[in-house]
Amino acid sequence: MGVADVRLAVEAEGLERRFRGGVVAVDGVDLAVERGEVYGFLGPNGAGKSTMVRMLTTLLRPTGGRARVAGHDVARAAGAVRRAIGVALQDAAIDPYMTGRELLHLQAVLHGFDRARGRARARELLERVDLVDAADRRVGTYSGGMRRRLDLALALVHEPEVLFLDEPTTGLDPISRLTLWEEVRRLNAESGTTVFLTTQYLEEADQLAGRVGIIDGGRIVAEGTPGELKAQVGDPTLTVALADPGQERAAEAALRPFGAIVPGRSGCIAVRLPEGAQALAAVVRALDEAGVAAAGLDLARPSLDDVFVAKTGRHLEPEEAEGPVGRPAPAAR
Amino acid sequence: MRLAAVQTAALARRAVVGTLRTPQALFPSLFFPLVLMAIFTASFAAAPGRIPGFPPVRGFLDFALSGAVLQGILIGGTVAGAAFALDIEGGFFDRLVASPASRSAILAGRLAGGVALALAQTVLFLGVGIAFGARVQGGAAGVALLLVLAGLLAVAVSGLGIVLALRSGSSEAVQGTFPLFFALLFFSSAFFPRETMTGWFRTVADVNPISHLVEAMRAQVISSGETRTTLIGLGIAVALAAIAVAACFQAFRGRLRGAA
Repeated sequence: MGVADVRLAVEAEGLERRFRGGVVAVDGVDLAVERGEVYGFLGPNGAGKSTMVRMLTTLLRPTGGRARVAGHDVARAAGAVRRAIGVALQDAAIDPYMTGRELLHLQAVLHGFDRARGRARARELLERVDLVDAADRRVGTYSGGMRRRLDLALALVHEPEVLFLDEPTTGLDPISRLTLWEEVRRLNAESGTTVFLTTQYLEEADQLAGRVGIIDGGRIVAEGTPGELKAQVGDPTLTVALADPGQERAAEAALRPFGAIVPGRSGCIAVRLPEGAQALAAVVRALDEAGVAAAGLDLARPSLDDVFVAKTGRHLEPEEAEGPVGRPAPAAR
Repeated sequence: MRLAAVQTAALARRAVVGTLRTPQALFPSLFFPLVLMAIFTASFAAAPGRIPGFPPVRGFLDFALSGAVLQGILIGGTVAGAAFALDIEGGFFDRLVASPASRSAILAGRLAGGVALALAQTVLFLGVGIAFGARVQGGAAGVALLLVLAGLLAVAVSGLGIVLALRSGSSEAVQGTFPLFFALLFFSSAFFPRETMTGWFRTVADVNPISHLVEAMRAQVISSGETRTTLIGLGIAVALAAIAVAACFQAFRGRLRGAA
């Protein structure tokens, strides 16, 4: 990789990690994440996401290839990497016997803050992640969402250049998940912090990441913006179930301006909607003006799961019930 | 250098606070030694002076005190090791490693925490012993030497616990060594003098480093610090502490290489 590219926050070249017994968790990954990006690493359990993060955060030595974070080699300049990164790992690794404030003070000391600065920073962050009231309670009494927020605050103590979030919302309820997403967005927008996040949730990658790398079996199988990736699979399709099957022609005429009509089930009209959900209001209005009564509307967007299926032949989330907010499939009924 | 010291102090403080806030971790290292000390003292009150070979002491409590101190440190060491393993299991260790904290501070913090607890506990035990009539013949110098021995032993035992934690990553595995420590303790002169043992048991107790450590501590209590015994004990304590610290660093590097 030679000279460090200063525009890149994370770069990897042929990065590889083998474990004893011959298991290859990460199998030659090339990666380039620009400063200020939110990069989502999407893949199922066991795809190599966490191993990748552990190598990039200096917790595990690569067995092959190279990686630089914030311009520093993870193997040869681990100390410099550690000063530049913030890390919130899976399961919110937090000592249950300490209070949130104590942990923030400790983290500040580890980053070389003096007492006064550490205390001020802790107050600031507690406010930011809305934990002021719980600050002096032991972390063992926190809810899952509060732990994650504290975890995030701990990772932000030193205003890192690059923030690593390993499955930041796994196991969280939808409200806590949305709160965390909001915070990550704000951080990226306000401070320009580069965010490298791993997730097994399509929705999360879709909502947060500017660019997504899909990882499976230790290799990146697809990479691009969520839009690009989905476009490779196709446009969203809107299916209109007609209250009166006799109105088929009128419905077709009303829908044609929005996109190509595709074959649908009987009693239904299906149209490709390149603009997706954004076109829905106009579609409903057009149907209404044409006097077409709809019994149901179903917007099926190609999801990152469709991308995953196209690349690997398998579904990313075998049981949809485990998904975060649920797939945005039925937009209206 | 100064930063590493500040980091070590902060991590040591956290180790102490964490232990004090888990009574189930603190309880065994206080309860068992004191109870055994009480039972033995009550049972063998008349032993000194009547059993041939029993060292000259004022009373059995003076004799038993050092055994309790040492037992407390052994249990405290496994508790420290188990706490370190819990940090690894829970991921707190990863947070430390991914921070700019120096490797030495991460290890030294936990060791210093273990030593601080061991010293506090030793002072408490001495206080209890003195309250019930024990006397430290070595005076202030004797107490100081006893604390030095206690501190070194705490480094050795906590260090061994940390090595096990780093190698296994499991608090259960660390706690599993507890019976081993107990066996080591009972096959030594921690509770009874070597002079009253015979045969293979005596041989085991002779080579058991615990015997020499406890006898060096005991020398401060029952005499004014018999020089040879004290030096042997100090030598063993220093050697064990040094080996344990070296092994800690080696295990730490091994863990980062990722032997998993």
